[in-house]
Amino acid sequence: MSARVTLATEAFDPAELLGTFSRELAGEGAVVSFTGHARDRAKDGALVDALVLESYRGVTLASMEDIAADAMARFDVTRCRVVHRAGRILPGEAIVFVATASAHRRSAFEAADYLMDRLKTEAVFWKREEAPLGRRWIEPRESDHEDARRWHP
Amino acid sequence: MTTADEAKTVLELELCGKLADVGGAFVKTVIPAEGCSVAELFVMVARQHPALAPSLGGGRIRACVNEAVVAPNARVMPGDEVALFPPVSGG
Repeated sequence: MSARVTLATEAFDPAELLGTFSRELAGEGAVVSFTGHARDRAKDGALVDALVLESYRGVTLASMEDIAADAMARFDVTRCRVVHRAGRILPGEAIVFVATASAHRRSAFEAADYLMDRLKTEAVFWKREEAPLGRRWIEPRESDHEDARRWHP
Repeated sequence: MTTADEAKTVLELELCGKLADVGGAFVKTVIPAEGCSVAELFVMVARQHPALAPSLGGGRIRACVNEAVVAPNARVMPGDEVALFPPVSGG
């Protein structure tokens, strides 16, 4: 049973993370991974130069570790990996990576879904889009909060 | 740091996310030397930095004291590291 959580300040390679995660399996039958990438366009269709994610001291990593620990406690998963970027992220670069492993697939799917829903709404980051015409702060959408509430009935 | 009035002290607060667009990355706020609650701190910040008042009044700002997000009734003391968090957004 292990959760590994990293706050990345440089670009990371999700394929390499998944490779490492899969090599470390100890007989589990299922691995689920999700990678979120920075979009090249804002909601209104305008091109985006970069996404900037601000973090706060040790609080950001602690919030990610709490979410990972909750996922490990809640689902029948043997291990999980969480990596989240901070700083200036270019379109196409990975922002967040989660991977989960379990004996059978359902728990791994659910744990990955849970990790992402809570990272979107509770991990301590502030996100803004930088575009030629200025910058705009992005808050979770109501649908993101609805997704997260599914786990707190 | 103590002001002319011995019963007061200055607390420097860090503003996170979009709050920094309104008030700069740090704001100084005069608080009682014996400390105050987070709720009282919000009132003092809003009074001393009117540009932040609309944000602080909306009930969506959380206080982080010495790297822990705390409730409105938590105590803030001189020398504490205080940051104000607008709604977070990861992923």
